[in-house]
Amino acid sequence: MGSDYGPTRALDGVDLVVSGGEALAVFGPNGAGKTTLLRVLGGERTPDRGCVLWGGAPVDRAGKEWRARSGLVSHRTGLYSRMTVVENLRFFAGLHGLAPDREALAGALARVGAERTADVQVRLLSRGQRQRVALARLLLHDPRAVFLDEPFTGLDPIGAEALETALRDLLRRGRVVVLATHDIARGLALAGRFVVLRAGRVEDAGVADPAQAGRVAASLGVPAVAEAAA
Amino acid sequence: MNGLRAAWLFAAKDLRTELRSGGRLAAMSAFVVLAAFLFAVSLDRTQVSGRSVAAGLLWLTILFAATTGAGRAFDAEEEDGAFRHVLASPASREAVFAGKAAANWVLASAVTVLAFLAIVAFLGVPATGPLAWHGAVLLPGTIGLAAVGTFFGRVSSHSALGDTLLPVLSFPLLAPVLFFGSTASARVFLGRPWLEIAGPARLLWAFALGSLAAGAVLFRHATDD
Repeated sequence: MGSDYGPTRALDGVDLVVSGGEALAVFGPNGAGKTTLLRVLGGERTPDRGCVLWGGAPVDRAGKEWRARSGLVSHRTGLYSRMTVVENLRFFAGLHGLAPDREALAGALARVGAERTADVQVRLLSRGQRQRVALARLLLHDPRAVFLDEPFTGLDPIGAEALETALRDLLRRGRVVVLATHDIARGLALAGRFVVLRAGRVEDAGVADPAQAGRVAASLGVPAVAEAAA
Repeated sequence: MNGLRAAWLFAAKDLRTELRSGGRLAAMSAFVVLAAFLFAVSLDRTQVSGRSVAAGLLWLTILFAATTGAGRAFDAEEEDGAFRHVLASPASREAVFAGKAAANWVLASAVTVLAFLAIVAFLGVPATGPLAWHGAVLLPGTIGLAAVGTFFGRVSSHSALGDTLLPVLSFPLLAPVLFFGSTASARVFLGRPWLEIAGPARLLWAFALGSLAAGAVLFRHATDD
């Protein structure tokens, strides 16, 4: 598939398959098309060429079904700062047609280690705490496909571990995970396969393995990381 | 996802956050009180009666206040990318528009009541005519303002020009609201019979319903990437 911003080809000839229970790590320098790819996959943006298939059927971008089945975590947490954590979770769950009780909300927060933040306004939380709440929001509607756009940005080690644990849990339950990240080591550790995007095209692809860190770093042109990984 | 429920969730969310921050309502309220006061002190009442200018002042004040509010209606949505998550949810764009327009209408109505009271008090204008008649004119007018303001509020918040784009886009479209609104309100202030008011009031309702429908349909395009 392909996607353009005016004359710029943000994605060009990208052809990917991701299976249930599998995570795909997407690497690439800034402007490579990672976020555009996630927008297209998540149904936020219509591809200009090609299409996204789910279970063999084209995703209806305008359809509520696809949006109900997919979930998004990005480096921007997408929470309302003047609302409490519980109010945010209730609001977004409501948009998914859910009405979780206090116990369900507490359970989702506990899974990401954010149970103490329930009644705190989001503006008073740290960046890492907000990202955990964003993850709890994702868990509430239990999406079949999860798209993550630099989700580890700003997370402390405990928050990053909570995110990793939640993602592994989703994978165990057969969910599809597509993860765009600059964190090569973490992406390779989580994913089953990887692709490297450059200027909207797939430059490299392979089986994700921590041993591939040097190869990915070399594709990205970041020798310092390649040496560290080696 | 039930569209009405999504619209209600959105309106309730917007009003709750507005009540907590109070930023928009305070800015709008301060503007209408100040505008009414300044007009009152600068108007030579020996030359011009307050009653003859009250309707025009009322609608102009409401227009600017509502535009101020609409311009900031999407601030919270853009603050940390929340709107991206809203658009990624199953809630329909029409429901999101309806919810945001409803919240904008509540704020515009509150400011309209304040503007009406301030103008009547500062200009010493007797609120001639039944209050229900004022309401029958102001209600569709504020609905139209909220619908147009919500739609173009989204367009301008998504553009590089930001808030400066909002009046440029919305004022020409809102000209009928100002014209029919001030015409009808002037007749109410002057104590004219309902028969003279019903015509412009009906046109205000037509504009309100038309702008709501058009906004709901076109909002999808304003939210596309």
